[in-house]
Amino acid sequence: MANHAPKTRIIKVFRYDPAVGGPGHFDRFELKTDDESLTTILDVLIRLQKTQDLSLAFRYACRVSMCGSCGMVINGREALACKTILADLKGEEVTIRPLNHFPVVKDLVVDMEPFFRKYEEGLTYFHAARERSEPAIIRPDSRERRVIESSTECIACGCCVSSCTMANWHKDYLGPAALNRVFTLLADSRDGLHEERLARSLGSCYHCRTELNCTEVCPKEISATRAIKYIQRLAAKEVLKPGSTVRSDLRELMPPQSTAPAALTPEPEDLLPAVPPPTLASRREFLSRTTLGIAALTIVFLGGVLAATALAPTLRKRPEKWVDVGQAEDFPAGSVKTAQIRYPVKDGFYESTVSKPVFVSHQENPDQFTVFNSRCTHLGCMLHWDDGKNLFICDCHGGQFKPDGVVKAGPPPRSMDRYLTMVQDGHLFVQEA
Amino acid sequence: MKKIRTDILIIGMGGAAQLAALNAFDANPDLNIVIVTKALQGKGGCSRMVQGGFNVVLNSADSHEKHLRDTLKGGQYINNQELAKTLVEQATPTIKEMETRYGCFFDRYPDGTVHQKPFAGQSFDRTVHKGDLTGIEIISRTTEQIMKRDIRILEECRALDLLADTTGREIVGALCVDIKQGDFFVVEAAATLVATGGGPTSYRFFAPGPEKTLDGMGMLYRAGVRMVDMEMLQFHPTGLIVPGSVVAGSLLEEGLRGAGAYMLNSLGERYMQRYDPVKMERTTRDVMSRSSFLEMMAGRDCEHGGVDMMAAHLGAEFVEKNFPGMYTRCKLFGYDLARKPVPVSPAAHFMMGGAVIDTACHTSLERLFAAGEDAGGVHGANRLGGNGIADSCVYGRQAGKSMAQYLKQERGIPQADERQIEHLAANYLAPFARTSGPSPLTLRDELREMNWTHVGIARTEEKLQQAIDIIEKIHEEVLMVQLTGTGGRAYNMVWQDWIALFNMLDVSRMISASALQRQETRGAHFRLDYPKQDDRYGLFNIFLNRGANGKPILEKRPVALKYMRPTDVVN
Repeated sequence: MANHAPKTRIIKVFRYDPAVGGPGHFDRFELKTDDESLTTILDVLIRLQKTQDLSLAFRYACRVSMCGSCGMVINGREALACKTILADLKGEEVTIRPLNHFPVVKDLVVDMEPFFRKYEEGLTYFHAARERSEPAIIRPDSRERRVIESSTECIACGCCVSSCTMANWHKDYLGPAALNRVFTLLADSRDGLHEERLARSLGSCYHCRTELNCTEVCPKEISATRAIKYIQRLAAKEVLKPGSTVRSDLRELMPPQSTAPAALTPEPEDLLPAVPPPTLASRREFLSRTTLGIAALTIVFLGGVLAATALAPTLRKRPEKWVDVGQAEDFPAGSVKTAQIRYPVKDGFYESTVSKPVFVSHQENPDQFTVFNSRCTHLGCMLHWDDGKNLFICDCHGGQFKPDGVVKAGPPPRSMDRYLTMVQDGHLFVQEA
Repeated sequence: MKKIRTDILIIGMGGAAQLAALNAFDANPDLNIVIVTKALQGKGGCSRMVQGGFNVVLNSADSHEKHLRDTLKGGQYINNQELAKTLVEQATPTIKEMETRYGCFFDRYPDGTVHQKPFAGQSFDRTVHKGDLTGIEIISRTTEQIMKRDIRILEECRALDLLADTTGREIVGALCVDIKQGDFFVVEAAATLVATGGGPTSYRFFAPGPEKTLDGMGMLYRAGVRMVDMEMLQFHPTGLIVPGSVVAGSLLEEGLRGAGAYMLNSLGERYMQRYDPVKMERTTRDVMSRSSFLEMMAGRDCEHGGVDMMAAHLGAEFVEKNFPGMYTRCKLFGYDLARKPVPVSPAAHFMMGGAVIDTACHTSLERLFAAGEDAGGVHGANRLGGNGIADSCVYGRQAGKSMAQYLKQERGIPQADERQIEHLAANYLAPFARTSGPSPLTLRDELREMNWTHVGIARTEEKLQQAIDIIEKIHEEVLMVQLTGTGGRAYNMVWQDWIALFNMLDVSRMISASALQRQETRGAHFRLDYPKQDDRYGLFNIFLNRGANGKPILEKRPVALKYMRPTDVVN
């Protein structure tokens, strides 16, 4: 085993006395430890309390990373005190403060009430889809269990919420822990509150900015980011499903050209569960409580999508350039082909290469090339060309475009976007903004 | 003082408390239910810390009779057979409800049915589990179910004492303290359930979380409830030693020895050759713990006062792959379980004894119920791995149904005795008024060391007699404690530690007195001066009540062998 020499550290601990009030302050302690490799931050706090300040307050229960009571911010990063080894912390000083976003009760102890309230708002509890007398037969290698994985092992320590910069930015944001549980229930085929739960998380799941802080700090190595992305994908798909209760509320809010898709093909994404429809009873039980919420949240959801679309062009500040698509003769008259274009871009200090597909449609007129952007004009999913149907098809929501890029069916609000083209020295070029 | 009046008061929020709340509510959603928990909601208690799993008969090749036989054999035949029978029979519907109503998802066989693994002392592979974190799955899911229902949770509130009517025969609620604010309040209830769990943290090495302080058994004893089997305290053989750390005592699971790990003393000997040359390290928990303890006492202890567990010969890859949780726990402290010996010691683990209950969880007092580790009799002299969480869940469920049934008859919510409340509250505030006196933290260390050396794994009449006197001396000092420098009452951890001492002391009284009375070795109770199990001596249980001087009054009674006799079990 490791034998380390005794070492003295400066430990700065946030102090707040509810009897005094005010903004709180940091106290500076010196602590000599015989072997830092055998000492957790929880041990440090227990020793400081015992030997230097009997009034020091912190929270713990199991001391083996199973209860999630001792989450705090250690040297600027959320962690469980019982799982953080002193020897692993670099530098002379260690700074310990309470979790962000929660009211402080005393010193390092925070009021977790907002955490549990958010949790509850997400309907984060199992509600059986139907009465069973025996446990459901679900194979461990089934898609739903592979998707859920170990995400049900959350111990509700609040580290993710503290690390999230969006958690206190939007009043209606459920935050990573609650959304992680929402995700595991949405993916669970035994659960019967699918649509109600999805409606609850709609206004919420788009507030995530994919900073991955929650994923980095989670002591159980669960990725709430992955969970939230799953809900976003599911939400986008579910909102437009015919017969969906979510959709029926949405219908009035949708732009007039958004009609129901003729057919729904499943998303090729691997993260899609087979979800049974909720029972009538469970729907009735919750619809009364959730209808208002659904309406409010869907407005937020739509507003967010529309805002992003409107903002998108103004964010493009790169100079225009002509990009080679390939030899013109490779695109014979009367055909539609997919080509890959590649070009370098520089964003500040960051250089990268863009590589993306475009559709080249060569009409009967020999010199008439039309090159389409491969993104659907609805929500930006990738289109593909279907030779048999002679249509461009979007798998997300069933949007269809004719060979000239005009909408044939589905929710897309306008024709496909086109590039400016030119032919020079036998090569086809498109202008990329 | 603030008062809350409710139909049902539940003290604790582990498996037993939660299942009781859910079952009482589902039986009658009009019942007002209040849960008082010392920790944050769902975060306290030992159910959450369960690694192994839940013993239950699900397979048609298995039977309740087999499970009962294993349980009685493990308990060395002094179990309450009625309670053990209900445990094994009701475990089956309980685990099914966990899955179908509360949303737990336990590990599966490749065909999608619920997986059951082998565990020590079982004649059939019947342990349902979720990896090696079964408790997290159970408690996370049931806590959500509590949230779903209209059940009031008072978190970080500690029940201090049960309140009785003037006759002392009827419990009318509890005096509590809000830990965050430091204020007292009273809950008056038509029915009260004590389900705080045990957690013998009154020893040098202990496995439960330090937040567990035997509160339930302490308050039951002080209220005059009849208790049983208090000498039966299980030591788990392999608690990790981390010198000076609060993590010390946390368990390395039994599966390691099952897989072939050795136990070595300071001379590098596999000392089990001396104690159980047939089963060696695969012997039962009680034999393993006492063998290690005897080696330590004989001066053959290793570097940190314990013994070494060696798994390296199993192959580093095998250990890392099959025991990832244990490997990681050791690695956190620089121990390499896969390649080197790891220092371990037996650690106080589980109280088999507790309040006398019937299968509907009634205690000896009116309006008062108990379930889980606070109740005694289910496990006899030794608990099987996997029967602990089963006990909590099954008897929590029994208690919930039983209380709902009990309240079908109009009973009204009684009034607590104001004088009793004032008297108790004044006592709990006394140390704030003193300016000199001992520190509760020092006294707690003293009690832990004393219990370890005098009322621990190997007991003698001499040491137990001494212990009984030392406990009274420590109690006198505890009454002189001062709390200067600990701040106000709000979230005052040292004040809470002092309060815990009364419960630890009362349980120490019960254990030492009962242990002195049992002049034989049986299950977890090992007497150096009576090293043999003596069946001629007769199978008996030790019952006790608190006497007027605060010390237990004991009574030995023969075991009722209602369903199986030891001969049936052996054959």
